[in-house]
Amino acid sequence: MPTLETEVLVIGGGSTGAGVARDAAMRGFATALVERGDLATGTTGRFHGLLHSGGRYAVKDPVAARECVVENEILRRTAADCIEDTGGLFVSTQWDDPGFGDEFLKGCRATGVPVEEVSVAETLRQEPRLDPGISRAFAVPDASLDPWKLVSACTRSATEHGARILPYHRVLDLDLRDGKVVGARVNNEQNGEELQIRAEVVINASGAWAGQIASLAGCLVAVLPGKGIMIAMNHRLVNTVVNRCKPPSDGDIIVPIRTVSVIGTTDTRVADPDELEVTQAEIDEMLDEGEKLVPGFRKARALRVWAGARPLYTPDEVADTRDVSRTHTVLDHAKRDGVGGFITITGGKTTTYRLMAEHAVDAACEKLGVDRPCTTHEEPLPGSEDERFYWLGARVRAQEPVPGSEEIICECELITRRGLIEAIARRRPTGLDDVRRRVRLAMGPCQGGFCIYRATGILHAFEHLDHQAANAALVDFLQERWKGVQPILYGDQLRQARLDDWIFQGLLAVGHLPE
Amino acid sequence: MNEARPRLAPASYDAVVIGAGLAGLTAALRLAEEGQRVAVLAKGVGATHLAPATIDVLGYDDGPVDSPARALPEFANANPQHPYRRLSINLIRASLDWFKSRLCDHGYRGGLDQNFLVPTAVGVAKPTALVPETMAAADLRQGGRFLFVGFRGLKDFFPAYLADNLARAPLPGGASVTTRVAELSPPLGLARDVSAAGFARRFEQADFRESVLVELGRHLMPGEIVGFPAVLGLDRAREVWQELEIRLGHPVFEVPTLPPSVPGLRLYETMTGALRREGARLVVGTTVAGAEGSGNRLEGVVAHNAGRPLTYRANSFVLATGGFASGGLQLDSSGKVREPVFDLPVAGLPGPDEPRFEQGYFDEHAISRAGVAVDASSRPIDSEGAPVYENLHAVGATLGGAVPWREASGNGLSLASGYAAASAILEVTS
Amino acid sequence: MTELVRDSLDHCVKCTICESFCPYSQATPLFPGPKYVGPQAERFRRTGISPDISVDYCSGCGICTQVCPHGVKIAEINSQARAQLWEERGIPLRNQLIARPSVLGRLGTPVAPLANWTLRNRVLRRLGERLLGIHRDASLPRFAGRTFQRWARKHVSPAAERTVVYFHACGTNYYEPAVGRMTVEVLEHNGFHVVVPPQDCCGLPLQSNGNFPAARAYVRRLAANLAPYAREGCAIVSNSTSCGLMLKREAREILEVEDEDVVVVSDAMYDLCEFLLMLHECGELRTDFAPLELTVPYHAPCQQQGHGIGKPALDLFALVPGLRAIELDADCCGIAGTYGLKKEKYEISMTVGERLFGQLRASNGDLAACDSETCRWQIEHGADIHAVHPVELLHRAYGLGAAA
Repeated sequence: MPTLETEVLVIGGGSTGAGVARDAAMRGFATALVERGDLATGTTGRFHGLLHSGGRYAVKDPVAARECVVENEILRRTAADCIEDTGGLFVSTQWDDPGFGDEFLKGCRATGVPVEEVSVAETLRQEPRLDPGISRAFAVPDASLDPWKLVSACTRSATEHGARILPYHRVLDLDLRDGKVVGARVNNEQNGEELQIRAEVVINASGAWAGQIASLAGCLVAVLPGKGIMIAMNHRLVNTVVNRCKPPSDGDIIVPIRTVSVIGTTDTRVADPDELEVTQAEIDEMLDEGEKLVPGFRKARALRVWAGARPLYTPDEVADTRDVSRTHTVLDHAKRDGVGGFITITGGKTTTYRLMAEHAVDAACEKLGVDRPCTTHEEPLPGSEDERFYWLGARVRAQEPVPGSEEIICECELITRRGLIEAIARRRPTGLDDVRRRVRLAMGPCQGGFCIYRATGILHAFEHLDHQAANAALVDFLQERWKGVQPILYGDQLRQARLDDWIFQGLLAVGHLPE
Repeated sequence: MNEARPRLAPASYDAVVIGAGLAGLTAALRLAEEGQRVAVLAKGVGATHLAPATIDVLGYDDGPVDSPARALPEFANANPQHPYRRLSINLIRASLDWFKSRLCDHGYRGGLDQNFLVPTAVGVAKPTALVPETMAAADLRQGGRFLFVGFRGLKDFFPAYLADNLARAPLPGGASVTTRVAELSPPLGLARDVSAAGFARRFEQADFRESVLVELGRHLMPGEIVGFPAVLGLDRAREVWQELEIRLGHPVFEVPTLPPSVPGLRLYETMTGALRREGARLVVGTTVAGAEGSGNRLEGVVAHNAGRPLTYRANSFVLATGGFASGGLQLDSSGKVREPVFDLPVAGLPGPDEPRFEQGYFDEHAISRAGVAVDASSRPIDSEGAPVYENLHAVGATLGGAVPWREASGNGLSLASGYAAASAILEVTS
Repeated sequence: MTELVRDSLDHCVKCTICESFCPYSQATPLFPGPKYVGPQAERFRRTGISPDISVDYCSGCGICTQVCPHGVKIAEINSQARAQLWEERGIPLRNQLIARPSVLGRLGTPVAPLANWTLRNRVLRRLGERLLGIHRDASLPRFAGRTFQRWARKHVSPAAERTVVYFHACGTNYYEPAVGRMTVEVLEHNGFHVVVPPQDCCGLPLQSNGNFPAARAYVRRLAANLAPYAREGCAIVSNSTSCGLMLKREAREILEVEDEDVVVVSDAMYDLCEFLLMLHECGELRTDFAPLELTVPYHAPCQQQGHGIGKPALDLFALVPGLRAIELDADCCGIAGTYGLKKEKYEISMTVGERLFGQLRASNGDLAACDSETCRWQIEHGADIHAVHPVELLHRAYGLGAAA
């Protein structure tokens, strides 16, 4: 079995893991990262897309709020390309107690969340789809954060500093010797080959799966997967992050992210982060809550629904997972479980990923007996050097002034043939879903109706696939898109899905492809 | 000043057809050619622009169907709610014959007795009953040596992928197909991203055809049948196709690909042109959103346009608004299904606790067969089986009981049901 | 709650039907098509910085909205996006000028012969192209010198049982007063007392050039003049089919003006041929037409089709013995109001119109009929055939006297 020698092995390719790999590599450690699937396919790839101002936690979780304030400012400076500066609003709807607004203001001021009360008239002018019955509104620096860009930039930075990033490498076992974790045995899911990795320190950054990984070293880490569903609406019903000004609960945030707006979320404790069922009751709850913020929400077009699992860590049992602190915890298993060379970083949220990574790598430094300072709060991520925020109109502007001068493969998200090929070339994809995460293929209204065939044809040609592999790519991607569309299929999206059926099953007859 | 606005005495017709897809246009044209004064009211242009313009009568019934004529009786028995139970073989045959003669300029070939097998754009050998002449050489049943042509600048056609699959397509009687590919770079000027319709317009220019012919000529090998994407001209498709065959000296055919469907556009232009010549009125861009009637007789439909509603009166009415894809049937976020024009009862719905859709994309979904149920005269019926209106007929994808995109029966159903409704109306009014 | 124009983008299923019909995207790569610019790009827009200049190459013909089977208000989305674009960039002087036909009309009328000469002088037109951006070859109408309003003020409409209000619009007033006179006479012939209230521009060219605030001001002023009559139950008719559509629908949908005056006027608004045909369907239209042995190719302007009422002119022609009307099936003449006047758009406009021009030439008609004045000027320019409003033929057939 081939062996890979390294100093720091990071398990988990979400925002935390990617952040840890970057930080460790920047501090000069030989670093490797393994992730069982494609990068950002865990919680990070399924989160709401919100860069918190801290407002949500200002009243009930001031520690978390303060963290958000600091990290929000840092990420705006260092990860600008991954962020759209939408701004945020907390609004008191007809169903909310306007008095809570005063508590909200107090909490924000106490925790340092920049806040300003704004007039309802001005708010409605800025956001004409909001319910005109709102009574108060407060502006905060929420923003939307693209998780794939973020993770991609972190791993790119890590690679630039010498790290080895290994997606599709599943951890089979952690190797223990004399009460110390010395590495892991992983399986390359793309070709079935096993790889032995030797490391001085293993950092478990596997989020909602942290308990499963920790148990491979005989450590009990009680991570509560807290399932939350989110619904992407076809267009930006609001252009600002809109929160309900009330104690946090379900369905009280709408985030405009890229070309869609996302409403979320729910909170249900589940046993297995890989078994996340979306129920009709949850969907109805989200739609009803959406209707309170945006009248006509139920008539608007819903694209798809998905669920993510929050990694909630608490040593004690709690009733409502929402009461668990949303700050993070670093567990040094030597101190806690008598297992050396092993650290778990758990809890937290994407907004504070960088701080989590800093603390995890600090713990690793301590273990290794070295003192290397973190610089990720200063160094911009690749692509964010000019501190220019992502701009919604960028892809349209890129096709101007002669929009017909490039072939556009995915029209909904304006992906050119060149862009698609670059994305394929940069990372040999296992299928079209990997490509989707790079460039947002099939993430628009038609959910691949027009672009899946084109992308398959291009993949077939560029990767010299045989017909079986190409057919599998097409069919698998159709199934993948269907998974998120099917539970919430009605109205305009049903029209689209039916047209797509006519194209794939009728016109192309993909149900009858040769074996 | 007195009331000076004209009383809204509505326009009056023999028949009003709502919807301008194949089913609606068929019913309208049949009625118009028999001397009825017909108005076609459509929210927009119909689904002809999206579909391949072949006439699929029955392509798949647990495997490819060889002969619709032989397969239909058993199919109809096994699917008692399917419109083919009501639409007899003779009627389907009559509708195909009518279609072929009406669209003689398109040279449709085929019939109920034997399906063609033609390649789809991903290389599946798909059964279909009627093909226009521009697709006839695609017939795979005897096998053959095929050269598929792609164009730089046309992103909706991938001949290499097609060829790869087609070479492995199971064909009857051990016939086999070998495939090759040629990628051409025709002169597109400044444009880089041209739709199928854009290519079709260019093919109607002699110098464009010339450069294609010259470039293609270098690739051809003897005995090859040449397959293009469906871009061989719009109004002058016959001329373009014939010229290519003559100049190349090889049989030539088109493969339908992603919308805009050029053969569908041709079909639409021909049928609407024929309607105009028969004196029918076609109003595109008006939505029918209400009815006026007395008892169970429909007297008029209310159409919305700029400014104010307009009532169209007629003796007979045909609902041809399509299914879920075109909004002829609607499902809202609370799970309610509606037929939005007349609020007709919708049959074939899953129960309130049954899932509407399966988890597997390729599974058959419970809601797929939902639609309007009709009697022997094509009239929508209520739960007791009585016609909702004595003079309202429903056709096409609005009808329940079928899953046309899986069965490959879409255009066949539209054609036959449109034809049948017109026959029923003509019978009553004669 | 009526759906905002922008939110209609949710109905788009990318079917490409609109793009198949758009004549402008076929004529130039600078306009990527209605689906692209409308519901697709709109998901990438928010107020602030407009990302695309290519939206300005949409002509506003509205064919896309008419053919869309799903109810996307494509042309309207484009119109609003264009207004946003020009609000950010500042509307160029040229667009401000040509968007105010009543201002130009008032300036040019007192010096009509000189103005007409100036506009036809090749040297001055070349200068105009360089300085202002109006294409040297674009066809500009002739000032009539005496406005229609002037005639109307002197004209005494016979008393009658019923009254109808005439909205003549700028084109008739400054350039084609004879058409206005014929309209009044045809209405009077059918037993109406015709009232011509004081009126000014409806704001349509300002809207299509992206100046929404000025457009709203104009349409509100016009509605204020017309609304009292509408409230009393009078119909308002216009021979300018595009201006009629502005009042019927566009001011409300695109400019989002829902003032009471505008709403009440919009409900009372009729296109002239629509009105006459409805009279006929009630049995109230006089059909004492003398034969007119003419072959007349008829082009329905895009804006006329936007009314969604079919082609009433053809049904009216069918009542005139001997009149052989040929329904042309080309989409658009290319002028699109002021679009084809612009230096950077003139060639596109002529390319778009070529299909229609070809059909006109091939028809061997005696003269062409078309309900929109700007389209008629484009037809005369591109196909070299005299073009009239359908009412002129009815006027002639009624025997109401030769054209002034």
